[in-house]
Amino acid sequence: MERDTNARATRFLVTTSSARASVPGASPFRLGVSFDRLGSVIALLAGISVFVLPFVTYRANRIVSGEPRLLLHALPTTVAVAVMGAVVAVALVAVFIRWPTVRLTAAALGLVVVVPAVGLSAGFMTPTGNNFARISPASGFWLLTLALGLLVADSLTRLRFGPWARLGALVIAAVAVAILLVSGAWHNLSLLKEYATRADSFWREADQHIFLSLGSVAAAAAVGLPLGVLCHRVRAVRGPTLQVLNIVQTIPSIALFGMLMVPLGFLAANVPAAAAIGIRGIGAAPAFVALFLYALLPIVANTVVGLDQVPANVVDAARGMGMSRRQRLTQVKIPLALPIILTGIRIVLVQNLGLATVAALIGGGGFGTFVFQGVGQTAMDLVLLGAIPTVALSFAAAVILDAVIDLAGRVRK
Amino acid sequence: MIEIEHLSKHYGETIVVDDVSLRVDEGTITVVVGTSGAGKSTLLRMINRLVEPSAGRVLIDGQDTMSIPEDELRHRIGYVIQGHGLFPHRTVAGNIATVPRLLGWDAKRIAQRVEELLLLFQLDPAEFAKKYPHELSGGQQQRVGVARALAARPALLLMDEPFGALDPLIRSKAQDDLLTIQRRLGTTVVLVTHDMEEAFHLGDMIAVMDEARLLQYGTAAELLTRPLPGFVERLVGTAERPFRLLSLAKVGDAVEPGSAEGEPVDVSSNLRDALSRLIWIGSPTAPVADASGAIVGRISVDGILAHGRRPT
Repeated sequence: MERDTNARATRFLVTTSSARASVPGASPFRLGVSFDRLGSVIALLAGISVFVLPFVTYRANRIVSGEPRLLLHALPTTVAVAVMGAVVAVALVAVFIRWPTVRLTAAALGLVVVVPAVGLSAGFMTPTGNNFARISPASGFWLLTLALGLLVADSLTRLRFGPWARLGALVIAAVAVAILLVSGAWHNLSLLKEYATRADSFWREADQHIFLSLGSVAAAAAVGLPLGVLCHRVRAVRGPTLQVLNIVQTIPSIALFGMLMVPLGFLAANVPAAAAIGIRGIGAAPAFVALFLYALLPIVANTVVGLDQVPANVVDAARGMGMSRRQRLTQVKIPLALPIILTGIRIVLVQNLGLATVAALIGGGGFGTFVFQGVGQTAMDLVLLGAIPTVALSFAAAVILDAVIDLAGRVRK
Repeated sequence: MIEIEHLSKHYGETIVVDDVSLRVDEGTITVVVGTSGAGKSTLLRMINRLVEPSAGRVLIDGQDTMSIPEDELRHRIGYVIQGHGLFPHRTVAGNIATVPRLLGWDAKRIAQRVEELLLLFQLDPAEFAKKYPHELSGGQQQRVGVARALAARPALLLMDEPFGALDPLIRSKAQDDLLTIQRRLGTTVVLVTHDMEEAFHLGDMIAVMDEARLLQYGTAAELLTRPLPGFVERLVGTAERPFRLLSLAKVGDAVEPGSAEGEPVDVSSNLRDALSRLIWIGSPTAPVADASGAIVGRISVDGILAHGRRPT
């Protein structure tokens, strides 16, 4: 591992030193110190966000425009200086230290300092007894979080964790966020104030969001996998099916919702059973159907590709040993196609978690509800209340499925 | 015993196998040899019905293969292909267990059989059972492929260019291993190859195919001494012919009374190797010893050469 890191460091050194070849005597080799390119960018971002950009925004109430505050004025001076010191220390590590474990630890510690600090700042700046004042994180905080997040991501990439370790890292991150939220460290932030007034609907919309995205992917998998197998077997079905799904994929989501309103509305009006299970021209039904349709193409296409790439001599051997068609499919072809099929499911899961936000436009619910309410009220914090959980869910889904794909493909070359 | 009767296969206008008849005796190795596109693989694949014949039939121990459901038929016939076709997602043990599992053997019996086969193929069960195919060398993969084909004790083993993907050194070792195992188990083998050397080395009987037709079918010695003029003669190779004849005959066939100086040669080794020894040590004669080491006579260069001469 260390050797690998050194090799990588050397490669970085070569690029940096060649870029600065015109400066005599500045060779990093001779000085024994060297500059990490990405680390330098991260340090620069961190510096700007701590010293130049506002850390939080103060507003007298939730919709008026706010006044920005620098980190130094957003916290008691000693605390502010301590936070600055911590950020500078992390920046130095990012620039000068190559060992990924150290970089990862530094970045994590930086986040542990900075993220609660913004909550602390909210408590510090809210006048006692004032329920209208809103303090929200400003560009400095977001940029700083981004910089530290980059450092975490970069170190994780360099460490090349296996699937289990990556899942472990995800769990640690989730626990850290849970602790942050439960501990009350952020309670004075406007984001959580928005949450507090909507706690019930937040969890209802969360359920709805997950139902729409996961449910549509599950339905698409239930239909798409058999359809993929059929396309793999019958060439005549393959072309037309993939073409139709391709066209569906190109329809913008709003347009698709609109197109679905008519048939679903008709169905609801004329078939009492359909209306009884909640099918309407607007609402969750067209959203679900649209998400389902969007998910079909990647699942079907990847199933076809996955089954096609199973080596012909393996299938021939299976047939020669007397495996029936079904046994060849379930015992040989599907296991060997699994990593590619799962890749298709990963794509649509991440896609639908994001796309489900749009469902709110036609009354389908989900986190999009907050986003569109927020846009309507020009309340940025409300937008974030919908957007942040969506991004977090997509991210978690991507990490989990990547790990599953790795595990499924592990035994193969 | 397998009887192939007037077997043909055509795809539209193209004739791939044209009216082939031959008989394979119990416990022998029959090698089907020919250039690529001669129809030999198709012939082989019609025996286990991976390819359905257009005309003719195949009898195994008197039973028409068409009367047996195809999967059941294939459970009873071992099948080995070039590049082994091992399942990359299953361990060595899982691969070998394929047919026994399809037949519904219980786990204990399967485990015993897997271990038995790994030992037979000189693969330590403790080391290899849990490995995946990509962790094995080419030779080991090939051995696992044959072990897998033999798992359910088939009376017949079909091999389609089984050694084609191996480098020469491993290939000749694999051929020797196959001979040893075949002699021990008494399995009937039908093997397809384009390599004449391999055909002479392995085949009790050799079938030469060209352009969909079976040209000549006989023992190795028959093919060498009385090749059909034309394709078979060219395939057998006129320059190689005496040496191939010598490698078919044993020292025992050429032993003469008398004594000789030097290291004795083994009575069961072939004449080509014996000649090679005599040339190398620069002596016209050598003593011959039997399996117990007792001298049973001598062998001479002239005596050996007589065996490589064109029959009159």
